[in-house]
Amino acid sequence: MKSFTKLVAASVVAAVTAGAAAAESIYVPNLSYRTGPFAATGIPLMNGQRDYIAMLNARDGGIGGIEIEYDECETGYSTEKGVECYEKTKGTAVVTQPWSTGITLQVLPQTNVDQIPILAPGYGFSPMSNGETFQWAFNPPASYWDAASMILQYIADGDMSNLAGKKIAHLHLDHPYGKEPIPLFEAMAEEHGFEFLPIPVGLSEMQNQSAQWLQIRRERPDNVIMWGWGAMNAGALTEAVKTRYPMDQFIGVWWSGHDGDLVALGDDAKGYKSISWSAPAPDAPVMAAIQEQVIDAGKSDVGADELGWVFYQRGILISAMLAEGIRKAQVIHGEGDIDAVQLRDGLASLDFTQERIDEMGLTGMIAPFSTSCTDHTGHSGGWMLEWDGSQFVKASDLLQADRDAIEPLEATAAAAYAEANAPWPMNDGC
Amino acid sequence: MEFLSKVFIDPFVDMVAAPDFLMQVVWEGLVSGVLYALIALGFVLIFRSSRIFNFAQGIMVVFAALTLVGLHEVGVPAWISFALTLGVMFLLAVGIERVVLRPLVGQPDIILFMATIGITLFLIGGGELIFGGENKRMITEELGIPTGSVVLEPFGGLLILEQKDITAVIGAVALVVALLAFLNYTRMGRAVRALGDDHQAALSVGISLQTIWVLVWFIAGIIALVTGIAWGSRAGVSFALEIIALKALPVLMLGGLESITGAIIGGLAIGVLEKLFEIYWGQPLLGGNTEAWFAYVLALVVLLFRPQGLFGEKIIERV
Repeated sequence: MKSFTKLVAASVVAAVTAGAAAAESIYVPNLSYRTGPFAATGIPLMNGQRDYIAMLNARDGGIGGIEIEYDECETGYSTEKGVECYEKTKGTAVVTQPWSTGITLQVLPQTNVDQIPILAPGYGFSPMSNGETFQWAFNPPASYWDAASMILQYIADGDMSNLAGKKIAHLHLDHPYGKEPIPLFEAMAEEHGFEFLPIPVGLSEMQNQSAQWLQIRRERPDNVIMWGWGAMNAGALTEAVKTRYPMDQFIGVWWSGHDGDLVALGDDAKGYKSISWSAPAPDAPVMAAIQEQVIDAGKSDVGADELGWVFYQRGILISAMLAEGIRKAQVIHGEGDIDAVQLRDGLASLDFTQERIDEMGLTGMIAPFSTSCTDHTGHSGGWMLEWDGSQFVKASDLLQADRDAIEPLEATAAAAYAEANAPWPMNDGC
Repeated sequence: MEFLSKVFIDPFVDMVAAPDFLMQVVWEGLVSGVLYALIALGFVLIFRSSRIFNFAQGIMVVFAALTLVGLHEVGVPAWISFALTLGVMFLLAVGIERVVLRPLVGQPDIILFMATIGITLFLIGGGELIFGGENKRMITEELGIPTGSVVLEPFGGLLILEQKDITAVIGAVALVVALLAFLNYTRMGRAVRALGDDHQAALSVGISLQTIWVLVWFIAGIIALVTGIAWGSRAGVSFALEIIALKALPVLMLGGLESITGAIIGGLAIGVLEKLFEIYWGQPLLGGNTEAWFAYVLALVVLLFRPQGLFGEKIIERV
């Protein structure tokens, strides 16, 4: 009986201590994919996210004096596992980071019920930019439709009429992610008179794309635009080299511009480009802070090569956006221990001015942008990065998406989504 | 009428109009087919000798390739890495026989199948722990595999043959010939076949089940290593290679689970036919990506008429 009493007493103490500890941290889970066929893409991104939070905790004691509890739930990029992870982590989380357009689309309706913001930087459903319809979803600083628009403008050299008569292939993963920009491309093809050729790549064909590249050889498109992920990127680049497709006519979205995929090809892939809302800046102050606070302190085993990779640094930026959202929410609500509903206000008030970017030590890594209640993306624009044989370098000035052309399409798609999922709660307070 | 023309006339007109392109399609299909056949062979060997459908064959390809590349990364010369990887695959075969299979002798087939799923999960976890999940470059050149290409101009057109693809085909053919010679002309090989034909009879004449199981799992490991080198040289070595094992399933359905000939012919047939269908019918008529399902449909059609596959044994059980 004595032992039983002791056990109960110990349990009560543990519960109270755990409760107090929980109140002193903000829980930010990440639905990561460090395993499976997409791991090569996921690992550096997740490392960057993890290390930035670790740096904030070590250097600043968290945000606003509250420690940030970063946690990962492994999905292997599987939509089913992603939904399980969402359900498992949503209880005490202030945010969900789904890391796949498929998972984002699956949990999107549920976030209205659970009142938890989705943070999907540079991915997800492009019309999520419309904050009045998608009040819980944020995809800063640029959407896939922004990416498609910037790539087309780059190909057209700034004058979209130059696209008339051209044939543009869209080599994409046969997955919600790969199909996401198709409505934008089709609308642009109709408006500007170019031929749009979608070429899907199935999961089991990612590493053997000979059929897709035979089609490219037969169709002879003027440009190939790639929406690849994980092993598909390396597979496509290998086939492009083999088919002798001109690398300077081959452009990928930002998830198809991974140093790890191109290192193996070296000079053969020289000239390949990737639109990117982030730029590699190894000399940015934040990199030195991570080196000092995290890597030198033995809290991360990231290698020296990976530190310079576009994806590692993009992971840093993704956590920086989340951290800034938390800080903003703390300022708006006047308290440190914010909840999910309060974080939504912070994410809708991101203001990455050049001054703030410099202050955060992110100089040169991202262009200024700001979100609002109605605009959940911010549309920072992006740079065209080019593989020089050993690394990605900036190959253009900052490009901007043609928002005048995209906004009506976003509004139509958002309205159609809300209607298809009626009754869909709108944010009339914007 | 237009649709019928697209199905029955246009593809053949295209083939005749661009024979060099047709040759390229057939070559690419042949290369894929050889590699499918190799993976299927790994399944067949183990099934023949133990009635186990080895779910782990795909991950063995990844594990073997990662071991090879991982050893080279820490400074071991390429060919020594190759030999050491063979040693690792042998130890893996011994370990699997001792720890997993031996305690399960006499259990229903489904239990053994489930055990191979366990092996798969173990190898995924172990592989990621040791080698990480990043995409790695296959040490193609270091192994002396040529990486250039042979450019031919048949009918005034263009035919590009990658030297590493030619090497993969030659290597696969050599491996199959060696395997057939081993199975037909050596004492151990005949013991493997005997075990496949009749377990009880084989055991009654003194064939050691344990030794043969270690042997076939080791041979499956060798096949996995060769397959890993061939596929890895195309797009790097990562856990995505595991997915390629899915392509062996329709090959097994088509050729039969127990037939080495079936695995080879099934692999080649699926490789070439899926490529021809994708290029001349799938892409123009169905929007492409028919390779994801074509092989399964073809195998299902065969199963309608020959449930045991093209070369499988018809099993009649008396009740």
